[in-house]
Order: sequence, then structure tokens, then C-alpha cells
Amino acid sequence: MPLKSVRFITWLVALFLAIPVLVGLVGTLLPAFHYFPPLGEYHFSLTSWEQLFQNNEFYTSLKLTLITGIIAPIIALWIALSLLAWGYQRAFFEKIEKLLAPILAIPHAAIAIGLLFLLSPSGWLMRLFSPWLTGFDRPPNWITVQDPYGVSLIFALVMKEMPYLLFIMLASLHAIDARKSLEVCQTLGYKRLTIWRKVLIPQLYPIIRMPIFIVIAFSLTVVDLAIVIGPNTPSTLAVTLFHWFNDPALSTRFIASAGAIALVIIIALVMLGWELAHCLFTRLTKAERSNGKRAGLTDYFLRLGVVLGLITLSSAFISLIILPIWSLTRRWRFPDVLPSSWTLSNIERAYPVLLELSSNTLIIALVATLIACLMSALMLETKRLTKQTKNHPFDWLIYVPILLPQIGFLFGLHVLLIQINLNGTLTAIIALHLMYVLPYVYLSLKGPYLAYQEDYLMQANRLNNRPWFNYFFIKLAMLKPALLTAFAIGFSVSIAQYLPTLIAGEGRYGTLTTEAVAQAASGDRKQVGSMALLQAFFPVFVFWLAHALPPRWTKWRLAIYLRVKKCYKQIPTNS
Amino acid sequence: MLKSLIAASISGALLFTSIQAKADWQDTLQEAKGQTVYFNAWGGADNVNEYIRWSAKRIKEQYGVTLKQVKLTDTADAVNRVLAEKAAGKNDNGSIDLIWLNGENFRAMKDNQLLYGPFSTQLPNYKKYVNEHARQSITHDFGTPVDGMESPWGMAQVIFMYDTATLKTPPKSMPELLAYAQQHPGRITYPAPPQFLGATFLKQALYELTTDKSALSKPVDSVDFQAVTAPLWAYLDKLNKVAWRHGETFPSDSTQMIRLLDDQEIDVALSFDISSASVAIQQGNLPDTVRSYVFTNGTIGNTHFLAIPYNSSAKAGAEVVANFMLSPEAQIQKQIPTVWGDLSVLSYDRLAAADQKKFDAIPRGIATLSIAELGKTLPEPHTSWVKALEKEWLKRYAQ
Repeated sequence: MPLKSVRFITWLVALFLAIPVLVGLVGTLLPAFHYFPPLGEYHFSLTSWEQLFQNNEFYTSLKLTLITGIIAPIIALWIALSLLAWGYQRAFFEKIEKLLAPILAIPHAAIAIGLLFLLSPSGWLMRLFSPWLTGFDRPPNWITVQDPYGVSLIFALVMKEMPYLLFIMLASLHAIDARKSLEVCQTLGYKRLTIWRKVLIPQLYPIIRMPIFIVIAFSLTVVDLAIVIGPNTPSTLAVTLFHWFNDPALSTRFIASAGAIALVIIIALVMLGWELAHCLFTRLTKAERSNGKRAGLTDYFLRLGVVLGLITLSSAFISLIILPIWSLTRRWRFPDVLPSSWTLSNIERAYPVLLELSSNTLIIALVATLIACLMSALMLETKRLTKQTKNHPFDWLIYVPILLPQIGFLFGLHVLLIQINLNGTLTAIIALHLMYVLPYVYLSLKGPYLAYQEDYLMQANRLNNRPWFNYFFIKLAMLKPALLTAFAIGFSVSIAQYLPTLIAGEGRYGTLTTEAVAQAASGDRKQVGSMALLQAFFPVFVFWLAHALPPRWTKWRLAIYLRVKKCYKQIPTNS
Repeated sequence: MLKSLIAASISGALLFTSIQAKADWQDTLQEAKGQTVYFNAWGGADNVNEYIRWSAKRIKEQYGVTLKQVKLTDTADAVNRVLAEKAAGKNDNGSIDLIWLNGENFRAMKDNQLLYGPFSTQLPNYKKYVNEHARQSITHDFGTPVDGMESPWGMAQVIFMYDTATLKTPPKSMPELLAYAQQHPGRITYPAPPQFLGATFLKQALYELTTDKSALSKPVDSVDFQAVTAPLWAYLDKLNKVAWRHGETFPSDSTQMIRLLDDQEIDVALSFDISSASVAIQQGNLPDTVRSYVFTNGTIGNTHFLAIPYNSSAKAGAEVVANFMLSPEAQIQKQIPTVWGDLSVLSYDRLAAADQKKFDAIPRGIATLSIAELGKTLPEPHTSWVKALEKEWLKRYAQ
């Protein structure tokens, strides 16, 4: 991008990123210190913090948050790396790669409900083996989901996060030239998993560090997933805060704001700890990595990860299959393996509102993601041109919206929206979506974009000096796979947004997601199945495009070009 | 300075509204024409949403007012939104014109001056058909005086559901429920407070078990909470031990309980909607052998209302909607079990003979109890009890 006044653009974008974040933060910070004029509180005090630290629910739910929020990303990363190492460049792995898109695209609340129905004591798994094997005529009184230890929540988190990490890794592999390393190391006699462990993963990690942090923040702050499949005696901290913020007794907002600030600090500490642990881990394993052995016992660790990964992927897949089955069910009682009667009326009932919901959803997602893609390209280009690779303002600013717990952050922002008279408009929804879509797009695009060999563009400019044209039709065209991947991820992030849509739109603009979550809360599996099915369609389609377009792009472009040319030739002969 | 300004503007607004309340109903109808009313209502039940769509159509035809439902998952969201608007100084043109609420949410809005009114007692249909003495809950919403700040919409009562194919004689009191749970471990449970049905279960149990029932109608600060509630916690200590999932987790709401009853994980489900068993059977969510019942000594019942935020941009339209919702036409439609099955708030004696006949002709679902069968309604304790009970429950069983 032939940009001028890079400094100015940097500051402008940074301001654009910072202002809503600041307003949201202030809107959370002030009540945390008991300053909240609408409730007649004009004096700063520490009482909300005292109340927070005296509250037992805070500690128990914090413990649960830490357990689930740290273990889930570790397992997700381990499994994703194992699967990548095991399957990269193998034919059957492409099938698994294709499975990733639908899993990524399905809103997590819907997957969680599918999982709930798979694993609960009256779930499909139990129905398959009852009563002929288990002897159960009625479901057993076991705790398999919503367990107080958070195991099922961790499982659901891994199911959501592992495909995301794998997706990012696959998109980042171009940047480290994995194929060449594999070839070289294989000729040196290294085993496949050993090459990954000793050579490729250490190269890959810095590129995917940010996505990993996003996954950690997601695990620590997710609300809807934890409500569906997480424990409720107590819940995780994010859910507890969500309840506090929504408490009809408005004074609870103070302790909720303090809790939200505490959660932010906790997220920062967890990430710091994660990085320290990684440094330590790298140092400890350095000797082993460079000892020259062509295979090692720790390869089995990756092998175990592969097995777990396949189990996770297949349960995610089965969870997805259950949803359409339920959407067509009329009666399905334990221990029947399949519904005893079927119907189309569940979908028919949802039909009248679907058109409006779909158009709202699509307008919001397309506009927000498109803006996010353009902004990301602009930001990355200014970042590249400033040559300041470390501590660039964007790199930490972009984090803040996804690090802050949505519920505490968005209330402060809503006050701003009202003041500038944007509340309840489509513009406000798109703006808030952009805040959450942009980081994902930026971070997915960043690695490949900065790894781009600028020589191509320079050569193009030497041959034909049209900088803007060449930027779009040489550089961006070459970055097509990464761009489309980023777009697909941004799109699905937008589709899955619940709180931002509701708070900015004040419920006046329903999307497929707000409707699906409203239904999910009511727990009717038939309705949820129907809604999730429809909600999943658009992101899945976009993911399919992101995968299908790049290899066919040139072929299709040429085909269209030739057809147009042919038509053009035919016109004079016909006339 | 700022405080006094706010106070002045609020009292100014109140003065303005009381003048407006006296205005002729015809003026209200005229003003309402062409307005759009954003109705914030819990959207978790399909049949209720369908009923609101039906109402919107009728209101459009009759009064030219557009009614749009904003579906909430939690009514507290709407309370928070009005609060946020007040924080931003948006004292007119607010985003919410009508809210479906009761109990705690009503008290929070009323205490924080977030409501418009009084208006409900001036509505033509209220004056004509509502008998304020028929039920305490019409004038006292969970013990909070209504004072015309919200208009009654419907009435609810706790009912229990069981499957006659597997259970012959269902437990009809709290002690019987415990005895049943001890004989059949894992088959009894209740929704987790602070979900409102869970809190209601606590209130029901407290009402039956406590020795000092009169304390429940007083603010919780003015009584010895520990002494009054001791029998309740002793009871729950025993019940939770033999409850579904050993009391380590609880269902989240009535819909989940119905699902668990259908899956035969539990033997008794409860609901605040007297027709929920019939509706669930009709939708294929329960077997047709399921029936409803109530406890021998009565169950908790309450009234739910419609209220108008102080900064609504369509107050006249909202009043017209509230008035329509009190019409015999709307209340009859609402009470049809296949539509919603929500109990009418109108006084039967005050209705015209033709309307009485229509009420008599409403078909009941196979699993819905008649008014007579519903028996005695226990009043909701004072609204301050909800918070105290929830807090204590969370402290004892969810930390």
C-alpha cells in the first residue's frame, strides 16, 4: 500500500481503537469504585472491593474459572499441534481439515447443547447402549455434564478452541515453509513427529502466540457456553458476574464492576504466567531438542494427543448431527435410539421470522467483516512501514476488547452510544461487532501478511508502476488464502455475537444468534436444533468459500474472462 | 447541584404525567395512532411470542398502533437498559415503551423512579373489569404497592407435573415430597435459585415449613431471618442429599424440568404456568399420560404486569396496548390452553353475559387444572424475601 503520512494514520487508527475501549473501561472502573451518578453515588470508595473480597461465591467461581480457563487452552493447543504434526500433508487429513470449518462456524452455544444431549445421562450415547448393555430403563443418576469440577465445560471449550487453533496453524504454515523443513529433516533421518516437536513447533509458536492468548481469554470469560454446559453451583466467574450485572437490585452493579476489573487483572496474570511457563519450558527442553536423536519417547505424547483429537473431533461431529435430527423430531423418548415420530412443524414454525433475521444477520456480518478486513490491511501496512516490529501500539490495543469481559465493558459503552444518539441502530451494532471482529481478522491476517515477500510487489512496481493497482492485484491477490480465512473467521465471529448485538441494538434488531440464544435458554432441544441448523448455514457456506475459492480462483476467473470474450466476439457476427 | 437538577426534572415529569393521566381517553387514542410500541417481554416461550404477535395484529387493526416485541432472555436486561438511559440523561425518547414484569424488577424500577404513571387505574378496561379486591396480588406485587404504576396482565400459580404411567400417587406436600425422594433417590429436584421458579420453590417450602407464617408478609429486615428459615434449611439439607444428581447440580428452569420428566430422569416437575403440561404434551415434549396437580394446602400464586418506562417515546401507544391486553377479547384468547393458558385478571362477575359464555367455553387441555382444582393460592412473601432466600441458598448449597 503506497501510504503517505504513516505516523498520522497510525495515530488515527490507534485513537479509533482506544476510544471505545477507554469509554468502556471508565464505565466499568467508576462503578467499581462506587462512583455512579444514576444511582446517586457521587463519592469514591472501596466498599465494592471489600464486598467482593468478602464474597465466597467470588472465590469459588474464580477457582473454577482458573481451572477450566487454563486447562482448556493447554489441552486444545496440545491436541491441535498433535493433529497437525500427525496429519500434515497426508491425504486423509484433508478430510479432517474440511470438518474444521463447520465446527468453527457453528455458534458455540449450539454445539454445547448438542454435546449436552450427547453426553447427559439421558443422552444419545446412553441411549445407544441402553437397555441392552447397561440395563437402564431409565437414565442413571450420574453427573456427566454440568459437573461441579468443570470437566464437561473443559471438553466443550476444547471442542471449540482446538479447531480454531488448528485452522490458524494451517493458515500460518506457509510462513515457516514447513514442507521444506520436513523434507530436509526427513533426509537426515528424523521421524515425523520428532521433526515437528524439535523443529517446526518452536518456529510455529511465535506466529500463533496471539491466537493462543485469544483462546485463553475466551476460556476465562465465555458466558453462554458456561451457562449451557458448565456447573451452576457455583458457575464460572464470568457467569457469576453476568448474573450480578443483571441483578434487579441495581446496587449489585458495584460489586459486579469490581469483579469485572478483577477478571481483567486475572486474565493479564494468567497470560503472564503462560509466557513465563513457555520460556521455562523452552529452556528445559532445549538440550533434548538439540541432542541429535532422530526419535524420542516424548513423541508418544503427540501420539496420545492425536487419539484425543480424533475423539474430540468425532464427538463434535456427532453433536452436530444431533441438532438436525432434533429439529425434525416430534417424539423421542429415552431409551429410543432414534425419534419415534418425526415432523417438519418445528422448522415451519420458525419460518416467518427467518427472512428478517437472516437479512439482519447478513448485513451486520458482511459490513462489519469487510470493514475489519480493510482496516486490518491498513493497520498491518502501517505497521510494516514503521518497521517497528516490537511493541507496536496496534499489537496490544487490539487485544483489549477481547480481553475485557463483554458484560462489564459493554454497559459502559452503551452509555456512550445513548449520548451520541446511536443506540438501537444498525450502525451501532455494526460498530460493536467491528470491535470484536477486527481483532480476530487482524490477528489471523497478521502472520501471513507480515511474512509476505515484498519482493514480488517491488518487482511488479518496477515492471508497471501502478502502486495501488499492484497492491490490490498482486499483493492482496497473493494473500488470498489468508485474507479469505481471516474473512471467514471474522464473519463467524460476527454471527456468533450475542451481547454486543443485544446491547447496541437494544433488541430492536434480532439476528439468528439472538433468537437462537433466546431459544437455547428455554432448553427445548427441537427449537434449538432448528435454529442452530439455520444459524450454522451462512458461516459454513463462507468457510466453504474460503477453502474452495483460492485454488479455483484463477481457473474461474479465466473461464469467465473467456466466456465474456466469446460473447463479445459473437455479438458482431450475430448482428 | 446535579442531584437537585435531576430531582427537579423528575418532579416536573411527575407533575406533567398526572395532568396527562386526567386527559380524556379519546385524546390518548388519537395520540397513540401511528406510534410504534417497543414491548420488552421475556421471549423464552414460543406460545407467548405467538400470542403477542396475535395481539399486535389486533391492536394494529383496532387502534393503528404498531406493537413490536423485543424478546428478552431476562427481564432485568430491560431494567438495566432504562437505567443506562437515565445515566446518559436520555429522559425522553427511551428505547423501551412497555415492559412485562413483576416482583423484584417492578420494585427496582419503581424505587429508582424509572416508571411512568400512575396510569393503570385510569385505563377504561381496568375501571370496567378489574376487581382490585379479588386477589391481593393485583394491588400488591410481591408485597410492593402497585399504586397504578403497572397494569395487570395475567395470573400465574405454581403447579406440579407427574407421569401417571410411572407414578400412582404424587407427593402433595413438602414433607411427602421429601419422603418420596428418600424412597426414590435422584428422582426429585427443583430449579436452582436465583432463577425465579427456584426461588418460588424455596418460598413454597418456607411457607409450608415455617412456624411463623406472618413473618413472611413483613420486610425481611424486620424479622429474625435465621429463626424463621431454620426449618427450611433443615429440610433442604435432607432433600438435597437424595435429590437428582445428589444436589450437586440443579435444572435451570421449568423447561429443563419438563425435559427431565420426559427423559424419566425425574418424577415430578414444577411450573409457574398452569397449562405448561398440556402445551408440552401437544408439542410432543411430554407423554400424554402426564397430569398436573397442586399441593393439598395450596401453592404460591402471583400476578404479572405491564409497565411503561418514564422515558418511553410512545406512552400513549403503550397505554392503548395495556388497555387492549385487559379487554375480554385479549384475556379470553390468552386463557385458551393451546394459545397460552394464562389465567385472566378480569373479574368474571363484571363481564357481559356473552363474554362470560366465551370464558366458560374455553377448552382446557387434558392436563390443565380448572380454577376450582387449582385450589387455594398462597400469597408471595414480601419482595425483600427473594434476595435473602437466594443469598442464603447460594451460600449453603452453591459455593
